[in-house]
Formats: sequence, C-alpha cells, structure tokens
Amino acid sequence: MAYRYLFEQMVRRELRQKYRGSALGVLWYLINPLVLMGAYYLMFGVIFNQTSEPDYPLFLLIGLVVWVFFNQAVVSAAPSLLDQGALVRKARFPREIIPASVVTVQLVTFLALLALLAPVTIAIRGTVDVALLLLPLVLASLFAFVLGVAFVVSILHAYFRDVAPILSAALLPWFFVSPIFFRPESITDQPTYRFILEWVNPVAPFIGAIRDVVYGGIVPSGPELAYVVVAGALALLCGHALFRRLQGELAVVV
Amino acid sequence: MTAFDEALRPGEIVLEHASRAFSVRADRGRTLKELLIGRKRAGGPPPVEALRDVSLHVEPGETVGMVGRNGAGKSSTLRVLAGIVPLNSGRVGCGGQIVSQLELGAGFGREFSGRENIFLNGALHGLQKEQIESRLEAIIAFSELGDFIDAPVATYSSGMFLRLGFSIAAHLDADVLLIDEVLAVGDEAFQRKCEARIAEQIGAGATLVLVSHDAALIERTCERLVVLDGGRKVFDGPVDDGMPFYHRLMGTADGVPSPQ
Repeated sequence: MAYRYLFEQMVRRELRQKYRGSALGVLWYLINPLVLMGAYYLMFGVIFNQTSEPDYPLFLLIGLVVWVFFNQAVVSAAPSLLDQGALVRKARFPREIIPASVVTVQLVTFLALLALLAPVTIAIRGTVDVALLLLPLVLASLFAFVLGVAFVVSILHAYFRDVAPILSAALLPWFFVSPIFFRPESITDQPTYRFILEWVNPVAPFIGAIRDVVYGGIVPSGPELAYVVVAGALALLCGHALFRRLQGELAVVV
Repeated sequence: MTAFDEALRPGEIVLEHASRAFSVRADRGRTLKELLIGRKRAGGPPPVEALRDVSLHVEPGETVGMVGRNGAGKSSTLRVLAGIVPLNSGRVGCGGQIVSQLELGAGFGREFSGRENIFLNGALHGLQKEQIESRLEAIIAFSELGDFIDAPVATYSSGMFLRLGFSIAAHLDADVLLIDEVLAVGDEAFQRKCEARIAEQIGAGATLVLVSHDAALIERTCERLVVLDGGRKVFDGPVDDGMPFYHRLMGTADGVPSPQ
C-alpha cells in the first residue's frame, strides 16, 4: 500500500475540487442526496402514499438513502478516469485509486446521512436489537458491491463512451423496480415477479437487509444475508479483475 | 507485455524487442454501438508504429541521451519505460524508483496551491505524507517560488510552473530519471541549476535517460547516445561518435525533418 497517501490526497481533491467556488462547498455532497430524497419522499410518501407500513416516512427514507448512495457513487465513478485523464496519461500509479476515491467520498456522505437517520428510526420504531450488530457487515458488503460496480463502469466508460449515458438512462427505471417505496410482497402475489423484484435486482437485498436491521429491528433472513455478503464479495472481485485486465491501455484511451 | 522489475537492480533499464503501435484517430475511445455491431470504423490513417523492435540495456548510473526527429519514438520510449504505456510485444523493466518528467507538472490541479501540488505529486510517486514533509522545505527553496508557493498554480507563469515541477521531481530520490525536453523552458540560471541537480543525482548513482533536441545539453550531460529513427534504434554508443551520426542523419533527410 505504498499509494495509501495518494488515495487520501485523491479523496481530498475530489471533496474540494468539485464544488470549489460554490458558496455551500462540501455541503453539496449532503444537499444533493437530501434534495433527491425530499423529492421522492414528497412523491411517494405524501402524494402517492398507498401503503400500510407503519412510520412510512422512515421506511421510505431508509430505502432511499441506500439507493442514493448506489446511484451517486456509480454515476460519479463512471466518468472519473476520464476526468483525471491528465494524471492517467502522465504518471504511473494504481488506477483503481481514482474510482475508489470517488466511491469513498460518496460513502462518507452516505454514512453521514445514515448517522442522522438511523438513530431517529431506531428511537421512533423502538428497534434496538442484537440485529443491529449485523449492520457493519451489511454496510461493508454494500461498499464492496458499489466499489465493484464502480470499477466496472469506470473502466468500461474509458473505452466506450456510451457507458455513462446508458447508466444514467438505466438508473431511473432501476429505481422504480427497486423495493424503496414498497415491499415486493405487498405489490405482487405472483411468485415469479416477486422473485425478480427481490433477487434479480442486486440492489434489492441490500435495501432489504439494511431496512430489516434498522427499521424492522429483525435479523435479515439467511438467504438475504448470504446474498448480500456474496454479492458484495463477487462484485468486488470480478469488478477489480475486469479493471485490471483492461487498465493497461488507459493512458492511451483517456 | 512482461514486466520483470523484481530481477533488476535499482537504476537498471531493460528493453527487449519492444514494439508499440498507436492508432491515430481524432476521437479517442470507441462506442458500444461499434462494439456490438462489430464494425471497425473504416478509413483513417493506419496505426503509427512508434517503436519497432527496440532493445536497450542501461546499467545503473549510466547517462543516456535520446535523439531523433519528431515522431521517431523518443517520447513513446520514455512513456514505455515509465510504465505508463504497455508494449504490444517485447519486454520492459526499470529497477527502483522511476521519476519521469514527461511534460512537467501536467498532473497539477490548477486551482490547488503549489504546496498542495507538491504533496499530490509526491503521492503520485508512491511517497507517504511524512516523506514529502521531510523534503518540502528543500523543494520550495529549490523552486525559488517564495510566497507564491501558497498561491493557486493557475496564477503561475509557465516558468514558475516548470520550476515547481522540476523541483518536485528532483527531490524524489530517483533511481531512474526520465526527462523529456523540458529544461529548455526555464531561464538560463535555472537551467544551470537543474543541470547541476541532475549531475548531483547521477553522482549519487541515478540513471538518466534524457530526450532533447538540444545537442549541446546532451553532450554536456550524457555519455551514451541512442538515435531513433522511424521507431527503430539506428545508433547506440558513445555520445562522441553518436552526435556526428545524428547530424548526418538529420542533414541527409531530404531537407525538412518529417512533421509527424
């Protein structure tokens, strides 16, 4: 880890550069997800609220905060290698540092939002339970999963410039089929659809598991927990392997 | 491409049958559509073979000048040695800490101060915070930037930019120094200071590969000369024999040096 300090520098650069000169500065990292969450909350929590979930705002916000992390992290990771083209073309360093620093900045934002939201949820819902001990494991798996996806989209976007636009286009419908403002079992009785909603979408089990622990005060089901851990590990391993395979020509293509 | 850094002594450089081609297209990167349809974009110039079967062995402490006309493959060789661009075939390896100055200061974040850029550039070479802090004063002093060190790099003149870049690179304890045609930008006093600093590093055992069109600079700094032409190594030997060869090559090249 000779490049530990470079990673630290890149995180700081990412934090300071993007919103430099703006009046609110780093606060934008919190404002963006908050606005997104506010809009979705208004939409599904107030206007189209048809659920019987108790404390529905909390139900919704827990799902949203996870989604927004995933969304923001992959969207900002995709063009990151191109954004840092000047460094990639001129210096030799592990290129993984670039998408990893972008994801880390989003992780910090996510954890900050969760640190605001989780205690409130736990207090209102009375969900203090040993299940909370599983939260670090689930969050670590989520980070691994998002980092793996970020490796894939960033390296692919460096070679094929359609990746970021395709990703942006895919994320909106992806959001609507993710169990953020509903539970799969409460919108369909069809086992096939339910299976697709719960397991085919890799983000769904992460939302489910975090919601189980924080909002429900229960231990996630065995399959869900296993899915989360395996998906995190697999995404990171495969994503990193693909990144390694393709990174050789980066200085030429960016 | 196979790297074999492990087996190399610090400062040793090995290039074996190295070849590398670049496709020349205005718009870099492909689109997924092209990949899916499987259609290669027709037309356009064929790939440029920047390096063709170049072999080179440099012992630790050697000083090598590299000359050739524009497009001969000098900069590509440096980029390959620096480990930034992989080979299509052949092997490359550099032992120890490589410090490359391919366009000085290109990685600088323009809105960051000179001081912040020292830390970033040190980190890019794998240094830790403490290691950079211990050199900070020496770097700032060498750069002669004074109070400007805390001003954003965007406000620097090109000369100040160069001084900062060289100062950082000169204090990274290089085993292999790769320098690409940059010293000419500074004023004469600073140029001399750079040359002295390079000589100091060579004295401490560093290997130097210097690309320049300044024959006098190469004659002052280097003992060995490599002449590249059209991606091939056409001369490799003592600089005293190489310079006449180089001048002949340039003189007989039907008038104007080729522009690519």
